[in-house]
Amino acid sequence: MHTVLLPVGADLYAVPIESVREVVAAPSVTRLVTAPAHVVGLINLRGEIVPLLDTAALLLGVGTVGPLSFAVVLHTPHGPVALAVTGLPERAELSVSCGTSELPGTAGIYQVDRQVAVLLNLAALLVPDRLDGHDAPARSVSGGVS
Amino acid sequence: MAALSVEQVQVLFAQEATVRLAQLGQLLLKLEEAGADDTLVQSIFRELHSLKGSAAVARLEDVSDCAHRLEDLVDGLRSGRTSMTAELIDTLLAGVDRLTVLIMGQDAEPLPAPSTASTTRPVAVDSPPVSNGNHVITDLPMPAASDVVPATDVQAKAVGQSSSGSPTTPAGAVILVPTERLEELTRLVGETASAHLRVGQLLKDRFGVDPASCSEYNELSRSLNELQDRATRTQMVPVATITDQLHRAVRDLARTQGKDIRWDARGIDTEMDRSALQLVSDCLLHLVRNAVDHGIEGPAEREAAGKPGHATIRLHAMQLGSEVVIAVTDDGRGIDIAEVGQRAAQQGVDTEGMSEEELIELTFRPGLSTTAFVTDVSGRGVGLDVVRTKIEATRGRVEVRSERGVGTEFRIIMPITLAVLRCLLVEAGGQRFALPFHRVVMSQADDPAAREHAEGRPVIWVDNQPVPLSMLRHTLGMDADPANAGPIVVLADTSRRHAFHVDRLVGQRDVVLKGLSRLLPHLPVYAGASVEPDGSVLLVLDPPGLIQRARQGIRTTPVAVQVPITDGPRRRVLVVDDALTVRELQRNILERAGFAVRVASDGGQALSKLAEESADLVLTDIEMPIMDGFALTEAIRATPALANIPVLILSSRSSEADRQRGLEVGADGYIIKSAFDEASLLAAVNRLLGVLAA
Repeated sequence: MHTVLLPVGADLYAVPIESVREVVAAPSVTRLVTAPAHVVGLINLRGEIVPLLDTAALLLGVGTVGPLSFAVVLHTPHGPVALAVTGLPERAELSVSCGTSELPGTAGIYQVDRQVAVLLNLAALLVPDRLDGHDAPARSVSGGVS
Repeated sequence: MAALSVEQVQVLFAQEATVRLAQLGQLLLKLEEAGADDTLVQSIFRELHSLKGSAAVARLEDVSDCAHRLEDLVDGLRSGRTSMTAELIDTLLAGVDRLTVLIMGQDAEPLPAPSTASTTRPVAVDSPPVSNGNHVITDLPMPAASDVVPATDVQAKAVGQSSSGSPTTPAGAVILVPTERLEELTRLVGETASAHLRVGQLLKDRFGVDPASCSEYNELSRSLNELQDRATRTQMVPVATITDQLHRAVRDLARTQGKDIRWDARGIDTEMDRSALQLVSDCLLHLVRNAVDHGIEGPAEREAAGKPGHATIRLHAMQLGSEVVIAVTDDGRGIDIAEVGQRAAQQGVDTEGMSEEELIELTFRPGLSTTAFVTDVSGRGVGLDVVRTKIEATRGRVEVRSERGVGTEFRIIMPITLAVLRCLLVEAGGQRFALPFHRVVMSQADDPAAREHAEGRPVIWVDNQPVPLSMLRHTLGMDADPANAGPIVVLADTSRRHAFHVDRLVGQRDVVLKGLSRLLPHLPVYAGASVEPDGSVLLVLDPPGLIQRARQGIRTTPVAVQVPITDGPRRRVLVVDDALTVRELQRNILERAGFAVRVASDGGQALSKLAEESADLVLTDIEMPIMDGFALTEAIRATPALANIPVLILSSRSSEADRQRGLEVGADGYIIKSAFDEASLLAAVNRLLGVLAA
């Protein structure tokens, strides 16, 4: 499967490449005060207002610590949405499966070189009902993020 | 705005029909492949039903009649009276062809009237017969090849061009542009503005030139900003653009049925995204036709019910925060909930234990109709089903409220995708926010000496009324610097006012508001967002949501909660108001506070209800049909059995003369609607009932 790898702190996630619209470097973010922790804010994508979500908070319930370097803008049936990542996203072929993943909104664990990437199931992760009553597992991020 | 001519309506119909006919053809072919698929059958039925309704509005009776006969066939299939055969598909496709000719023949250059003898091709129909009791389509006139007019001719006429392609559009006329092109234009303008900003950054980084000091750069910035604003606005149109068509539909149908109906359209300058409005237009057409056909009684029935001879259908559009609400209200007979329940039960729905609200929701079920007769207008139970499906597909919702004998109100509520709002720009917590101007009561410098404290919170005096005061930064959960309290902005929702400290006032201007993504959770304090000329995102706050949030979190000292009673029977309040929304709001507030509430829509109905069962308090409006609030109060005081019931008037009439008159006729209290909120209403009711706070 052809994917784009999303570094989030010490973790690595993957999304199918066809779901990626573009990658924005160092986006200017408008904070959306009163929003839950998994919402970083809004970015202006050439006149289009796109929500930026904290990938770690979305999956783990714990916000990303460290600089927001890139926003990966994804296509969804509900409009564009961006995921915040802390390192440069790269393309990768996922071929070696290492087993199933535990987190809701994910679709398995894969080996990429010597790293482990968790494939995101965007259809399950990015749906209005789930995000409205977002209930990520209370779990600490071991190893932290840079 | 002038009413559309029949020709203009027919041109609009031709555009709609082109899409519907293409869709019908596709669906029929799919049905032939898939077999008797209920979803496909239902979709075909809806398309034909919508086509029929629109054709009737466009006064194309032959088209409406043909669509009706095809609808009968599909209805037979839907109900299981006939089975799906290839011959049936043949017949239906032939019918679609016939519709195409009829519609294009009406719209294109005059066609020679098709000779039935020469163009009729009897369609072989095997047993079971393709019939629905009243109609049998075995003799649909088929189009001759020469009759068929290319679709491009119809479309060319719709945009004012001849079929040869030579433009005949007069200067200043309107042309039709595909929505996709407008969206593409807006996107490209956005791209251009973004590139312009990057060039400015480049000038600064590489050449050390401040772009703000370059007049050419600034001029281009201004032009691009204006272009971006205009491009965005091309996608918005006022509700007024569709109300003439609706008015015409009501008028024509009312005349056909011998009903005297007044059309009342309000708030029609409310703007909506054109694609959303187009979708809403179809749904509103269903609703107003249903209102005329089902809702409004005939003259004799209205007279017998003591109602005015002329009925009213009202369309009221308004923008409320991040939503546009379009309400269609009639003062007809209301929905017979018992009958709805019966018919639903006949369809296998378990209605046992359903509340009135749940039963009334059943009117949106496919196939349910409370009308005993099938007409060419409605009565097949398809309209409301179509309305809800279409509106929900675009994140909207439809609500219905009805009262037997009083009327029905349908509300279509659509999230704002785009709107232009005049806004007051303020800063709070280092961030800029926009406040919709129509919610701003006033702004003023802060005067700490003028502040008071009431009910555990700071208040200021506005128009001799204490108004709670909060810091906007606190309310938004931002870091607050207590030493930095700037000017005060007073905001209002429908019933409450609230003052907010902001860091500073920035100015006022039009803001192109866009709705927030569906993927964001519901955030009641925001109406939407806008892109600023410098590329940043400006958040537009929603004052009602903001006020609600502020009121939930501003008390600094504990306040006892008022409860009407702690034991014994519940106190009974009769709420009298002809406005469904106000009535329901009051009922909701009072019921949540523990009162037993009944409602009446005018003074006469209130007296009838009091005769059936007394009340501990009457809460009444003044302006109502049949018997107003003054007359009701007088009648209560003049009736020995009712004379001791406290009467509280809640009215939008704010003059001292009205208040004085209310007290003179015997009211015990007088509240002005603009100053009314939950707390003040409950305080007044409790005071009159002699209830103490717990």
